[in-house]
Amino acid sequence: MNASAWQMLLEGAWTTVWISGVSIAMGVTAGLMLALIRLARIPVIDQILVLYISLARATPLVTLALFIFLSAPTFGINLDRNVAGILALTLNTTAFNAEIWRSAFRNFSRDQREAAMAAGMTPWVTFRRIMLPQMMITSLPGLINEMSFLIKGSPAIAVIGIVDLTRVTNRISAVTYEPLPPILVACALYMAAIGCLVWLQRIAERRANRLAV
Amino acid sequence: MFEKNTSERVGAEQTVPDAARSEQAAVSIRHLSKSFDGVEVLRDVDLEVREGDVVTILGSSGSGKSTLLRCINWLEQPDRGSIHIGGQRIGVNDAGRPMPVRELARVRARTGMVFQSFNLWPHLNVLHNVTEAPIHVLGKSKTQAEAHARELLEKVGMSPKADAYPSTLSGGQKQRVAIARALAMQPEVMLFDEPTSALDPELVGEVLSVIRDLSAEGYTMVIVTHEMAFSRAVSDKVVFLDKGLIIEQADPETFFTNPSTERVRKFLEREES
Repeated sequence: MNASAWQMLLEGAWTTVWISGVSIAMGVTAGLMLALIRLARIPVIDQILVLYISLARATPLVTLALFIFLSAPTFGINLDRNVAGILALTLNTTAFNAEIWRSAFRNFSRDQREAAMAAGMTPWVTFRRIMLPQMMITSLPGLINEMSFLIKGSPAIAVIGIVDLTRVTNRISAVTYEPLPPILVACALYMAAIGCLVWLQRIAERRANRLAV
Repeated sequence: MFEKNTSERVGAEQTVPDAARSEQAAVSIRHLSKSFDGVEVLRDVDLEVREGDVVTILGSSGSGKSTLLRCINWLEQPDRGSIHIGGQRIGVNDAGRPMPVRELARVRARTGMVFQSFNLWPHLNVLHNVTEAPIHVLGKSKTQAEAHARELLEKVGMSPKADAYPSTLSGGQKQRVAIARALAMQPEVMLFDEPTSALDPELVGEVLSVIRDLSAEGYTMVIVTHEMAFSRAVSDKVVFLDKGLIIEQADPETFFTNPSTERVRKFLEREES
């Protein structure tokens, strides 16, 4: 592999990292908001969200990315392929994250909530100061699992023409006729990204020990 | 003189208007009823707690005593009746509607509660468990809240553990922190829900002695407990609940030496043996 191949690989890696990163950040936040809205059990909205969650969880990423990218012009929207890619990844991961957050809500200690109420905290203060800090730690293993699924599933966005880390290996080997080196480097880079997540998870676990009453 | 008079004329109490009664009482409970799944756990309960009084609620398990206590700060919602805290009605606003959550939270903040299972917040250390509500409910500054918290931890003998996390504390220590946490809100009345029932026997004493100190300082307290000797020593008034009814209400001397009902006599005999 020559210098330009290396440069292409790193550019592909960067594309994967930033598109995944943006999708993860939006997906975790949106998932939390969906879980909160579902707690309120607003009649029609609740059913719509249930439908969205089951559809998004059942649709393959490739299909979703294609659908979003190809259907946008029909609605008169000129969608940038990166935006379409992020949208597909986010819509997919949000559905899974919403379920992770929802179960964290459901399992939250009633005793602790009562202590917060008895201390005069409003539901919002209770959520922000008592529940969320603990839910972030208890949900993190599940969320990080989902984040690594997203990163590993991200090559799907190549289908709409985004040159990500996997796609770029193809392009390199098309020139060099040596598919193995770029693939090996790509694997190492994926592992490095996932490794960062695992490291985050370990920090969370250390803090979680404190929560065991 | 006046107090004696009213307590002798039990029947006449009904005619005293709500507002007049509430003003003199830290907690005023009237005609309180509550059912769980068709089972009546509280039946037309009336109870007055005057400012500075310590009232202990006794009764066998399932008599409704914890439910009564939990109604006072609206952790349980009664089906009928009213509760006033320092003259302010809790749970129901002037229009007779359920209180909006913010208003309810404000009234709740006038009470402090100590739970059987401590219910400390495990993600916060001891000091921050105590300062959390004063900062985020009362809007105190961090320095102010921490200074007050350290005083209270000193009072309950937990200063050396200010930086420790709840998971590293013994039950007795957790409960003393929980007491400091409740006191930090400077409540008008402290509610204790079987504060020593979850403790190892050798740890009960340290918690009871803290509560005893509070009574000496003049705190208004309502305590659900199984500790008879403690109840006798600390109470101004003992209330006995049986199947959701208050069947005896007396000063501790009368209650423990000369109860007027057979049910209480039997209960006390069983406790002694």
